[in-house]
Amino acid sequence: MLRAKKMNVDYSKDLGSDTEELKTGIIIENLSVRFPDKNGGDPVEALQNINLEIKPGEFVSLVGPSGCGKTTLLRTIADLQQPTTGTISIGGLTPREIRLQQKFGIVFQNPVLYEWRTVRRNVCMPMEIMGIPKPERTRRVTQMLELVGLYNFGKMHPHELSGGMQQRVGIARALALRPKILLMDEPFSALDEFTKEKLHLDLQRIWSKTKKTIIFVTHSIQEAVFLSDKVVVLSPHPGRISAVVDINLPRPRGLEIKDTMEFNSLVSKVRNSFEGV
Amino acid sequence: MNRVKKVLSSKQIVTLVWVIGLIIVWEIGATVIAQTKRTPEYVLPHISQIVDSVFSDKLVNGSQTATQIVLSNAALTLVRAGIGFIIGSIIGFILALLMNMFLPVEKIAFPYLMMIQMIPILGMAPIILAITKDIDKSRIVIAAILTFYPVATNTLAGFKAVEKAKHELMYSIAAKKKDIYKKLLIPASLPYFFTGLKISAPMAITASILVDTLQGGGGLGCMLSQSLKHAMSIYVFWQIVFFSAIIGILSFYLMSVIEKLVSPYKKVRR
Ligand SMILES: Nc1ncnc2c1ncn2[C@@H]1O[C@H](COP(=O)(O)OP(=O)(O)OP(=O)(O)O)[C@@H](O)[C@H]1O
Ligand SMILES: [Mg+2]
Repeated sequence: MLRAKKMNVDYSKDLGSDTEELKTGIIIENLSVRFPDKNGGDPVEALQNINLEIKPGEFVSLVGPSGCGKTTLLRTIADLQQPTTGTISIGGLTPREIRLQQKFGIVFQNPVLYEWRTVRRNVCMPMEIMGIPKPERTRRVTQMLELVGLYNFGKMHPHELSGGMQQRVGIARALALRPKILLMDEPFSALDEFTKEKLHLDLQRIWSKTKKTIIFVTHSIQEAVFLSDKVVVLSPHPGRISAVVDINLPRPRGLEIKDTMEFNSLVSKVRNSFEGV
Repeated sequence: MNRVKKVLSSKQIVTLVWVIGLIIVWEIGATVIAQTKRTPEYVLPHISQIVDSVFSDKLVNGSQTATQIVLSNAALTLVRAGIGFIIGSIIGFILALLMNMFLPVEKIAFPYLMMIQMIPILGMAPIILAITKDIDKSRIVIAAILTFYPVATNTLAGFKAVEKAKHELMYSIAAKKKDIYKKLLIPASLPYFFTGLKISAPMAITASILVDTLQGGGGLGCMLSQSLKHAMSIYVFWQIVFFSAIIGILSFYLMSVIEKLVSPYKKVRR
């Protein structure tokens, strides 16, 4: 039995692809999020009248200057923030229903690790809660730590790791869940160029094998163009969508694509749609 | 220069200076008192005399040496203090859980806890004794009362100190309340819980000794007052004072050791 399991080297299966119908398209209509000002001043319009459609299995990046509402949009989709007005529908369900079905995987802007748990047990934690059997958990933890290059650090505690390593633990934790919808908030911001490029390729591979919907927040236009089907540019105060740029580059994309004309003209196109920056 | 400063400010040196200072003050006191007409050993014996008395086999109450008296009575007091401490810790922890789970419980219970805490043990002890009508039970109850408050408040503070982001991770995977407590709140608040234990362990011992003084049924406190009334050697008194102080400090360190053993927590040293 065990042997048969080990012999299974079908990588697509390993990464948790499934054939069940994916109802993970996201429709955002007239969404606004306003934060009341604590000192009685004008409320902050973090997001104003956002309309956006994300197809099932699409890879969408959110870019825009700091404070333009990227994190807020991600959090609202994840049911961590309630909209002031407007609706979000994910495959016909509300974000709350999707959350209760445990279909979200979130990589937070700050990694949010539990410092009393080792790296391995941090990655394991959400799977324990979801009731995934122990052998399967162990297998996935190993697999994901290898993926993010932290296999040898499994027994360490978070405070013994660098910022970039902590970030990668957060990524491994979210991926290990095999979420239908993966929400990533600047997941690679603290990483060096080499690690980042490796993870770009890995993430692209996982995404194409598992058909999950990914929403990816980043400050790097290059990164957004390289990874995405669609780049959404937000502008600040109030947070609005100033442009949606379709990225029709062929897949799978290798690193060499960054040297092509098409790639660079797309990067320029996205950059030019930044407002007032 | 810097080196000297560093050495002088290290923890061990500070402790050493303290101990030496204490001995000097003590010995000056003992010498001064020896010069007065009274026999010094009835008031403030020299430290060497106290140390001697620990090893002396002179019987002080007809059948036991001073050390035997201290140790046999210590068992009586400390076991009760220990039982009370454990009961108090459990109650304190459960109370913290309840207060964290149900806001009304916190709102209602907290003022009462504060009040109980403000009644001096000296006033509370006779009341408890009158209610339980048993010195053993009183010791346990008083130790428990003194223990549960620091444990409850510290643990509650620990629950509340958990960052919002850590809760949001649980929320995002729709964790059940049971799991949130098991995997987040309880482990995160362990250091706070142990802070509570470290505060209350010496208190439970002190309280138990104090209860002893109320009745002649034995125990460290009882011997303390008897020896003060010169019914016994003054050395019994001083031995008990030192012994209690040492046990109090040890109880604190015992909690630290247990914390290191049970908690997977690694202190962040940065
Ligand atoms: N909890 C909150 N309370 C009040 N205002 C908030 C809150 N969260 C965000 N904001 C405000 O909403 C706006 C958008 O914030 P958000 O965190 O979404 O920006 P961001 O695009 O993710 O920025 P960055 O790139 O720096 O992470 C900011 O002006 C911020 O001050
Ligand atoms: Mg952000």
